[in-house]
Amino acid sequence: MTKTPLIEMRNIHKWFGKVHAVDGVNFAIEKGEIVGLVGDNGAGKSTVIKVLSGYHPSDGGEILIEGQKVQIKSPSDARAFGIETVYQEQALVELMSVARNMFMGREPVKFARFLDRRKMNECISVLHDLGLSIDSPDLEVGHLSGGEKQGVAIARAMYFKAKLVIFDEPTRNLSIKEAQTVLDFIEGLKQENISVIFITHNLYHVYPVAERFLAMRKGKLVDDVMKENTSIEQLTQELVK
Amino acid sequence: MKESIIRVLGKGISARETFILLTVIGLVVLFYFTSFKHRFLSSGVQDTIFTVAPELGIIVVGVTLLMIGGEFDLSVGSVSALCALIMVELYGRDVDPFLALVMVLAVGLATGMINGLATVKFGIPSFIVTMGMMMAWRGAIYVATAGVTIRFNVMKTHPAFYYLLVGKIGGIPVQLFWFVLITVAFALVLNYHEFGNRVYATGGNKEAAKAMGIKTDQIKIYCFVLLGILCALAGVMRATRIRGFYAQQGSGMELMAIAAAVVGGTSLFGGTGTIIGAFLGVLVIIFLEYGLIVSRVPGFWFRAVLGVLIVIVAVVNKLMAKRRGLS
Repeated sequence: MTKTPLIEMRNIHKWFGKVHAVDGVNFAIEKGEIVGLVGDNGAGKSTVIKVLSGYHPSDGGEILIEGQKVQIKSPSDARAFGIETVYQEQALVELMSVARNMFMGREPVKFARFLDRRKMNECISVLHDLGLSIDSPDLEVGHLSGGEKQGVAIARAMYFKAKLVIFDEPTRNLSIKEAQTVLDFIEGLKQENISVIFITHNLYHVYPVAERFLAMRKGKLVDDVMKENTSIEQLTQELVK
Repeated sequence: MKESIIRVLGKGISARETFILLTVIGLVVLFYFTSFKHRFLSSGVQDTIFTVAPELGIIVVGVTLLMIGGEFDLSVGSVSALCALIMVELYGRDVDPFLALVMVLAVGLATGMINGLATVKFGIPSFIVTMGMMMAWRGAIYVATAGVTIRFNVMKTHPAFYYLLVGKIGGIPVQLFWFVLITVAFALVLNYHEFGNRVYATGGNKEAAKAMGIKTDQIKIYCFVLLGILCALAGVMRATRIRGFYAQQGSGMELMAIAAAVVGGTSLFGGTGTIIGAFLGVLVIIFLEYGLIVSRVPGFWFRAVLGVLIVIVAVVNKLMAKRRGLS
């Protein structure tokens, strides 16, 4: 009997007007697997992920989670299924504190839906587990470096016990050191048996951490290959064909 | 809860609020010395100030909430007047004033809903939507009243209603209690309630809030609706106090309200602001207005001084944000 994958995308389509942004994409993600989703700008990789994270409804195809067919109509649906997305600088509010960002949209509440501040402040321990030296949960996110911001977004995913974390260009706009920190976070997720999809057009960042690569070109999935069967050069060839 | 209130107040006094508080104190000292026979601190002047300030202040609390959520409302003066007019008309038709008040609050809710739906469902900037509604409601008021003043002598017929809204407790205008109560309630909600967290998130980064599953359109509509209800309350309060309705009631209030919110540290771009700041902003504006009057400065100066103050405050806010590394 074969193992049931964590996520299965079957024949996913997405149109934007006349543009066929995602054209019949099929792939599966195993538990605890780190997969690099690569492609040039406009290849459709972010769109396919936005379908999975509930940001855009798909125009065709089906999604299975642990073998069960599911409907993902909103980011809340996706998160309820354990799918967290870490958007580059998009999913944090700079003017809000770390704690408020961590629980944005999923605030722990007490009587009459007033915030449970004590529970919110617990987030600091998850941040420390990740190796982030943030002193106070009340610190405004705007004061953090790019890498630390990614750390907060990742801690958010970990706190809510995500099964799959999707990183959309996590290393873009980061310094080399900060990018390395983020890659370390991703390795850390694997230790926790959390699956990762890492979207990027920078093969040099994704290559060391990913075990498998999905390559997209013009809305189509053109390659699904294990790392031992390919190289950066081969992947690059595939993307620029 | 008691502890929470103290914490809200204590926490609310950040560098920005300290600056506004110092401005308030500075104005009090200044006007004490410049006012004719030092009348600025006389009970008569203070009584006037604390009677009038809540009518603006209650609206400013709602305006601040909405601005933190990233939207504007220029129709607050017209909506408060429309609600006052409906209140007075219902009273004239022998509707019990308490029932009429409930109906008028519902009208306020509906006007907020119109502003909110038009803004979020059609993606029209709230500045445009509410400017249109400001003119539309004001126009409707002129059409309905032909500019004639209507008497509203509820004090004689229903003293309980009058005293509950604009009477006095221990020599202090009841309006002030309402204003403080609403300020504390909204401050608690913004700082300590799930809704408040979502308002800040929506105004601070709408896309991020959406990606985290917050229904940002709904949050904005709630803010518009709450503001509409507060406008209705303030409008009825004024009509009750002056025992009548005139067609110009509340005109110019929209800019005063936004000015108070901005002086109180609310950002024009959403995501920043506090209710405590708004409360202090109201005091600055009202002290300025009445301080100039009792100092016998011609009334036109108020607008000029207010304008300059807004610019100064905006610059100081920007500099403070820069110093904190959040330009």
